[in-house]
Amino acid sequence: MKSAVSIQGLAKSYGTTRAVDGLDLEIEQGELFGIIGPDGAGKTTTMQILVTLIPPDKGEVLVGGHDVRTGIQAIRSLVGYMPQRFSLYPDLSVEQNIDFFAELFGVPKSEMAVRKQRLYRFSRLGPFAKRLAGKLSGGMKQKLALSCTLVHDPEILILDEPTTGVDPLSRLEFWEILHHLHRMGTTVIVTTPYIDEALSCDRVAVMHGGQSLACGTPDELVSLFPHKLYAIREPGISLHDTLVMSIRGVLRVAAFGDSLHVAAEPDTSPSQLETELSAALGRGINLEPISPSLEDVFIHLIHTKRNDGA
Amino acid sequence: MRQVFYLMQKEFRQIVRDRFMIALLFVAPLVLIFVLGNAVTTEVLGIRMVFYDGDRTPFSRELLAHFRDSRYFRIVGYESRYRELTRLMDRGEAQVAVVLPAGFQRDILRGSAPTVQVLVDALDGNSAGVALGYVTDIVRRFHKQAAVSMPLPVIPTGGRRVAAETRFWYNPNLESRVFIIPGIMAILLVITTVLLTSLGIVREKEIGTLEQLMVTPIRSWQLIAGKTLPFCVVGFIAAILCMVFIRIIFGIGIAGSILLLAVESVLFILTTLGMGILVSTISHSQQQALFIAWFFMIFGMILSGFFIPIANMPPLIQVLTYANPVRYYMTILREIYLKGTGLSDLVEETVALAVFGTVVFSAAVLRFRRTLR
Repeated sequence: MKSAVSIQGLAKSYGTTRAVDGLDLEIEQGELFGIIGPDGAGKTTTMQILVTLIPPDKGEVLVGGHDVRTGIQAIRSLVGYMPQRFSLYPDLSVEQNIDFFAELFGVPKSEMAVRKQRLYRFSRLGPFAKRLAGKLSGGMKQKLALSCTLVHDPEILILDEPTTGVDPLSRLEFWEILHHLHRMGTTVIVTTPYIDEALSCDRVAVMHGGQSLACGTPDELVSLFPHKLYAIREPGISLHDTLVMSIRGVLRVAAFGDSLHVAAEPDTSPSQLETELSAALGRGINLEPISPSLEDVFIHLIHTKRNDGA
Repeated sequence: MRQVFYLMQKEFRQIVRDRFMIALLFVAPLVLIFVLGNAVTTEVLGIRMVFYDGDRTPFSRELLAHFRDSRYFRIVGYESRYRELTRLMDRGEAQVAVVLPAGFQRDILRGSAPTVQVLVDALDGNSAGVALGYVTDIVRRFHKQAAVSMPLPVIPTGGRRVAAETRFWYNPNLESRVFIIPGIMAILLVITTVLLTSLGIVREKEIGTLEQLMVTPIRSWQLIAGKTLPFCVVGFIAAILCMVFIRIIFGIGIAGSILLLAVESVLFILTTLGMGILVSTISHSQQQALFIAWFFMIFGMILSGFFIPIANMPPLIQVLTYANPVRYYMTILREIYLKGTGLSDLVEETVALAVFGTVVFSAAVLRFRRTLR
């Protein structure tokens, strides 16, 4: 399969801050590719480099086979980009916004009616065509922004945290649209801070400190988890995370709501851990073996990276 | 080229939808002309005067009438006691005191120059000077008139006198608004172009649409053209409105060539648009842009000779005004507007405008492109 995006050794610094620091990624055509990472991981910078908004300092970046340094015009016509703070003209109507971007992208006038109908169909913005964009609800604004980035039928859709700050229902609806586009053959690259969104991607890259820590299908990523994982479900147990952490054999403790996820070395026996925990906490503790979620992997990867750095 | 058209179309849609913009476009010229045309004046009117008449003759009363009839003076006291006069001056009730000594009429009839004492409250030095000028002028005119209307011609002693007859050209009544009003057009053009351009670009930066525009295949020159041309048009509409209002309200028309004025204005606008773009590249929010633009605008206006004649400025500041493009445009405007001066006498200013325009605009475009990438 041909690569939609190929990134090798990408680096970009702002002053002394290394936003992206040796990133390698291959994204295939037609993939729904997720990039997950905490704030400041370098996701946005990477996206901006992909869409030729900022030039890379170092490394090789090809989008649709074009170099981001030299193929700016070519890349811009085959990529659709929705920035983190998706934006449109609040003082223009829904239709005027769509028309405007269609015109700038050089969409033929003869095709406009059909395309607009198609965009209205999936975004359900048809009835609001004459409404000012500034008067739309958050979810509708987001769909309008997506419509504006889709108006020129991009081969590659790049979305930077498109659902941040959007209500859960609109988020769900938005992802349905993404899946639909994916099925139609569009390459979709999306950054997200949400685990559940990453799970519904074909492949996911975990980004941290400007690098990709791991990349694969959600299942592959989960299998990367090297430790045994237990859950302690006790009311108030999350308050005792430091105590639990001090037990021999415990590698990491993470609070998940009212329960604690405890990562232990593979050779520690669960019964021995249980006994020691019960003694330490002064009450009977029940350890429940669980299989790691993507979130556990995510936390594990980031912790490992941090410890390496320290 | 089509892309530029679409960008402009979008910009005009936004301008039309923006009530504030429309208000700025139509109301600003009117208000500016009205307020500046009437308020910015170096004339001093209604000066409070106390008149001390130590002569009490028909001539002294005649001189008083001259002051009374002048719109520059308001007589607040007609005194025969000197002490009263100082009191009025001390309390600030009178700004000027004219003291006619006994023998005023006699001196005139004898053909010798009468002596008149003038006391001026000089707290506001500028007004004091102006007031003194008016007083001297009225007294001199009275003297001349009195001498001429004498039943027997009075031959001034001391031989023949050469009297210099002063005439003021282009603005015969020395009305300061005639001088001020054409300058309003410069101010208006500066406001519309610098401010609207910078705010227009920064607003797109703020709401994030600039980023969206940049990922479209439009070229940066198209983007710049699409963002600046609409404000050019807006600026010219405002300027034309301004000229119409000036004609209607003050009856001042353009003495020179409108075409020349238009060409010079285009040269000038190059600089201001460039400034607008530059301001937008260094500011991240509309407030910032507003403050920076405001700073440059104030600088540009004060050092343009709009309010304060450049010749009155300290030498160092005078040198600074050469770095101010508004200065040249102000001169050009006044020359064409009031005197009908042709291009051949405005070569220096035109060249200066052209150089400023080219340098500032190219710098702006280069910087804008760099921030785009």
